[in-house]
Amino acid sequence: MRINAKDLASGLLLVLFAAVGLWLNMEHTLGSARRMGPGYMPMLVFWLELGLGGIVLAASFFGGLDPLEKWTKLDFTTLLVGSGATLVAYPLLAAMPALSANWYALGIAMAIGFAVLAVSPGWRKLALVLLGMVLFGILLEQGGLFVAITAMVIVAALADPDHRPLGVAGCVVFLLALCWWVFIHELDIRVNVLPTF
Amino acid sequence: MDLLLSNLAHGFGVALSFDNLLFALLGALIGTAIGVLPGIGPVATISLLLPITFGQPATTAIIMLAGIYYGAQYGGSTTAILLNLPGEVSSVVTTLEGYKMARNGRAGAALAISALGSFFAGSAATILVAASGPLLTEVALSFGPADYFSLMLLGLIISAVLAQGSVLKSVAMVVLGVALGLVGTDVQTGQQRFTFGIPDLSDGLNFAAIAMGVFGIGEIILNLENPEVRSVLSTKVGSLFLTKEEWKRATPAVLRGTVIGSVLGILPGGGAALASFGSYMMERKISKGRHEFGNGAIEGVAGPEAANNAAAQTSFIPLLTLGIPSNAVMALMVGALIIQGIQPGPRMVEAQPDLFWGLICSMWIGNVMLLVINLPLIGMWVKLLQVPYKYMYPAILTFCAIGVYSINNSVFDVYQTVFFSVLGYVFAKLKMEPAPLLVGFVLGPMMEEHLRRAMLLSRGDPTVFVERPISAVLLAVAALALGLMLLPGMRKKKEAAMAG
Repeated sequence: MRINAKDLASGLLLVLFAAVGLWLNMEHTLGSARRMGPGYMPMLVFWLELGLGGIVLAASFFGGLDPLEKWTKLDFTTLLVGSGATLVAYPLLAAMPALSANWYALGIAMAIGFAVLAVSPGWRKLALVLLGMVLFGILLEQGGLFVAITAMVIVAALADPDHRPLGVAGCVVFLLALCWWVFIHELDIRVNVLPTF
Repeated sequence: MDLLLSNLAHGFGVALSFDNLLFALLGALIGTAIGVLPGIGPVATISLLLPITFGQPATTAIIMLAGIYYGAQYGGSTTAILLNLPGEVSSVVTTLEGYKMARNGRAGAALAISALGSFFAGSAATILVAASGPLLTEVALSFGPADYFSLMLLGLIISAVLAQGSVLKSVAMVVLGVALGLVGTDVQTGQQRFTFGIPDLSDGLNFAAIAMGVFGIGEIILNLENPEVRSVLSTKVGSLFLTKEEWKRATPAVLRGTVIGSVLGILPGGGAALASFGSYMMERKISKGRHEFGNGAIEGVAGPEAANNAAAQTSFIPLLTLGIPSNAVMALMVGALIIQGIQPGPRMVEAQPDLFWGLICSMWIGNVMLLVINLPLIGMWVKLLQVPYKYMYPAILTFCAIGVYSINNSVFDVYQTVFFSVLGYVFAKLKMEPAPLLVGFVLGPMMEEHLRRAMLLSRGDPTVFVERPISAVLLAVAALALGLMLLPGMRKKKEAAMAG
């Protein structure tokens, strides 16, 4: 048997997604074909997805070899610890009144997760680029646009080992000027440019 | 005919206004730039510039976004010919003969014929859009809800069938897209579905967040993981003028490419990439220079380049007349229109004459601009390649982050983008094609509406879909397309075509 690991994983993902969808859909009234309730279309869609996922899964056993990339032990550990940390941190942070506004709890929980992921070289690029973006979200309202962009670009630049400090600094200055001109001067989006306390 | 002329005159009036000219030029410039640069394509660019266009009137916004799409077809050929490096998927086949021509010292001729061929094809396709738009609209107005549902189903299935990779997985991705489209408030009952009690999700998932996450940031991460080596330009461009012999061989190829590109562009799921593959296959089989293929045959450049530009224009036909996006770029256009408060559909031609005719005329004007931008300024565009990717990706990331935030002034949308970036990364690793997902996401809510209406009218009898002749034909075509692709022989042919 020549298992196509990519298809196997795709099939599992689709089946899992459809199963969760069907489970969540139990709270919606189905209605009848003539008068469809809010749950009718989701029911059709998720059953169809479950079926398709099942076929993808079944076909993967005869699909010919297509292995996934090798994961190191560190990849596994950081993924488990990172997603675990995010899931544990979110409810704890959300319970703190100071962090309840503006999705701070969600942002900080995600930042912790990506920071853990960045420990493993296999995830580093993904983790640093997205950590930069999450930091942008956390810093934007209080820190203002300039602080948020600076933090994002510096963290995301770490994802490419070719970057040198001077180049990153140039990048930051260029982007600050460009974004100020496009988004503040021309489009006038409603956002703080400088930090507010 | 008189009506068409007066409509076109009206369109030119709209397209020639200062703002619209400026934004058409801006779109064409950006399109050429991202066409030249590998690592960022039209889908990513349009999604990250979507928020910037919100402040503009709808017509101006769509004119600029359209300019990016067809501009990318011009720019993509430049690097394909000079560096053997396709800037876009649609110029992959151009590398085959175009780079060989450049090696033979005919780079200038290859660039010239691809720009002139594109211009001819673009102009012809624009006329086709103008002529067929009102006709198709009239047909579409006689559609009932059942016919609409079937038409959308056909669109979804064909977009999955023609996507790269496994048909089965692409169909699953379409359904996944429809499922993501379910999130939010149910239109009929006002009930919240799959929102997990988050008020920010009551309007549904953010369309721009999905597009930017999957196509913009997901791509960045993949590009960082697999850095490509860019060769330094060593080929000389040489004379841009074609010899008599070259003209004689290229002209019929351009004509054939225009026809095949126009047809493949209209097909749901079609578009520029498919058209250039189709034209290349055809030229290799039937053109006079077919024995020269592999050694720099000019037909292999002229045909596909004409075809991809023709298709970039005609793929607007299903969008403008039926409201159905035929590929991921058109799905983005639907998103842009909906955010502007315009429901795409057959009534758009009458209700928004400025948009429809203005866009058509601006496409032609845009093609003239592109000819000027591309031929004399080719050296400048090639210089753009010296900007290393490490300086490009922080800029893309920044524009995505601010852009997605500015739509609703919501940090939650930034985090949605992060979520979909991870998802896009997983999709790429598992070879799950994301373009059908975007089309499914856009069409899903409309399909639910039409399904509900059709079933209400038929009193819950599903046979209505096969009893109405239009709907029955559309469903039969959908079944046929799906059936053909599941046959092993056809699948091999598609794989061969996709591999060039």
